Amino acid sequence: MKFITIDKKNWAKGIEKSRETYRLFGPVKDKNGVFIRTLEKDMLPDMTINDSIMSVKSVLFPQTEKILFTTLDEAKEDHHIMKRVEFDSSPRAVVGIRPYDAKAIELVKMNFDTDDYRDPYWCDAYEATTFVGVGINKPGPFDFSTSAGTGPFSESGLDVLMADLDNAYLAKILTGKGEAFMKSCGFEKNTDEKESQALFDILRKEAEKNISSHIDTGKLKGKTVLELHEAPFWDDIAFACINCGTCTFVCPTCWCFDIQDETKQKSAGRFRNWDTCMSPLFTKHATGHNPRDSKTQRVRQRFMHKLKYFPDKYDKGIMCVGCGRCVKSCPVNIDIREVCKIMNSYEKNN
Amino acid sequence: MDTCIQKIREIAFQLLDKKEVEKVIGFSNGTIPMATSPITIASKQDTEKLVFNSTCGLNLANYIRQQKGKIAVIAKGCDSRNIVTHIIENQVKRDQVYIIGVPCNGMINKSKIKSLFEDEIQKFEEDGDSLIIESSSKKEKLKKNDYLRENCRLCQHRNPVIYDVLAGDLVKEQIIDVPYPDVEKIAALEADARWIHFQDLTKNCIRCYACRNACPLCYCPTCFVDESGPQWVGKGQDKTDINTFHFLRAFHCAGRCTDCGACAEACPMDINVRDFTRKLNKDTFDMFGWEAGLDLTKRPPLDAYSPDDPNDFIK
Amino acid sequence: MGNLLEHMGIERDRIHFSWISSAEATKFVDVVKEISNKVRALGPNKKLVKDYN
Repeated sequence: MKFITIDKKNWAKGIEKSRETYRLFGPVKDKNGVFIRTLEKDMLPDMTINDSIMSVKSVLFPQTEKILFTTLDEAKEDHHIMKRVEFDSSPRAVVGIRPYDAKAIELVKMNFDTDDYRDPYWCDAYEATTFVGVGINKPGPFDFSTSAGTGPFSESGLDVLMADLDNAYLAKILTGKGEAFMKSCGFEKNTDEKESQALFDILRKEAEKNISSHIDTGKLKGKTVLELHEAPFWDDIAFACINCGTCTFVCPTCWCFDIQDETKQKSAGRFRNWDTCMSPLFTKHATGHNPRDSKTQRVRQRFMHKLKYFPDKYDKGIMCVGCGRCVKSCPVNIDIREVCKIMNSYEKNN
Repeated sequence: MDTCIQKIREIAFQLLDKKEVEKVIGFSNGTIPMATSPITIASKQDTEKLVFNSTCGLNLANYIRQQKGKIAVIAKGCDSRNIVTHIIENQVKRDQVYIIGVPCNGMINKSKIKSLFEDEIQKFEEDGDSLIIESSSKKEKLKKNDYLRENCRLCQHRNPVIYDVLAGDLVKEQIIDVPYPDVEKIAALEADARWIHFQDLTKNCIRCYACRNACPLCYCPTCFVDESGPQWVGKGQDKTDINTFHFLRAFHCAGRCTDCGACAEACPMDINVRDFTRKLNKDTFDMFGWEAGLDLTKRPPLDAYSPDDPNDFIK
Repeated sequence: MGNLLEHMGIERDRIHFSWISSAEATKFVDVVKEISNKVRALGPNKKLVKDYN
């Protein structure tokens, strides 16, 4: 494995240089918090903030994406035939993302890129993207990533993992994509592999020790879906919920979307928008019937999907990376850690 | 506040013990600092979970519709005004709710406090008029009155306007000489600057609809943005669609809004959506002398016709 | 509604309310003329108009 050191004095110049090849994205401070946005010229990713309000998923899966278009003009030969919107396949890089967000991309990939189906919009964007992460030296109080299958220095899903060493970054190159990105920045100063890995291990252990929040998911697998589905606690959990979509929109692993057609005069577009299982409209059938008509059913769905259906289906752990965004953003303080505890410790009395 | 919590618990205990109500709706402690969560209590043992403090910024009137049997609810001044509005709009019957009134000294502006810290807040305590807040890097002692939400700072109805019992002594109402400084500030701008103000206000909106869903007024069975036949407004992130949502939602609240601040409190992006509703509150006050939710016997101005209604706008 | 739109920065002269009976043809013509003159003077509206691309 290759390691590179980057003097922070050279950081801005290197990032600027990479623009010759890459479109850049990264954490940006705005008046309401930190977002993952396109880095316009002269903008640097904010590497200091532990987490952004919104996750990195929007780089591959924008909240609104025009996917197809057509003309309604019947004089044209190809009227009403949907065509794909031209895709910008030029390389892009997300710089400064946190390891749990990269892990989330891996989980989302299981849905968008399967043996049977391949979502062209997401997959093409994924292939064009290089993920340059930075480890979290001091995890915040809401970070429970270590018990959600990732961690402050987890490498999964990343092309490069960097460590912030005050005056320099130490970068661990994990893939060919990562190597190409570093080269495009002109960062090529190799360092000793053994020493660097040892340093990474120390930082990782130190950071993991700082994580104060944990969840226990060990018993979820042994319970049946019906047992949990019919458990008596859902009404109490759901009572406070106002059914906004905040938790699902800030979640890096929530992937559900809705398709909308819009027309203006003779042109028509097909858009894909994020959807949320918290909304009654999410499951409403054309007949008017709604299988998840009540708030409790919808809240149950969200937690069952993340903590039971997903792990059962894929056997790759829970569909949560422990970033804590939903915990912080929920207007009524519904806390997935608490719900997980209730689900995990539930024993049906017979 | 602590005596108030004791009182709330006692009242709730008695009500459940004597089976006067089936459940009590109140606030419980949150799992993170500066958070409380709405909770429903059905057994008297659980009344210990009830709390009340300066972080109870949501409006519990939002939780009392479509409940079976008689319920009790904790109500600040603004909550009680929304209960009045619910009764006027036939969403609940007066005898179906037992109102535990809580005179209120204002709720805190959580985002303003968070902005004082670079890292996450780990501890929040309230001691009378002071707030003690700690993160891993520093500790601050703040005066609560300096960190009130704007709607609480300008509130003229801190005491519940309707109640069955009080859980604390009535507080002195504030007298505010300029009740709408924010609206006037925006109104003083040029048209284009006003437009830019509202564009900037909503630019980070993710359309989670937390503002709508936290609002006790927004109880339409199907909101116009969720309607699909016909579809009134696009569902994506187009800025015109976003502004149409905010504009029309505010308009649906005209003459009904109590400025409880739940919408802004719930917004994950800290958007002060009250910039829309406040203008309408000011207008209904200026034109009809109306403030919502003060009187069970009066119809809201947009719900009633009077020959002396202002009608200069019609040609 | 006019007030809120104006507050948001939409020009007041773009919004008109009128009550015209089917028997008041001349009033209808006058009002429409007045409205179109006022709107023409303001030029095309760019606010609260959806870009389509």
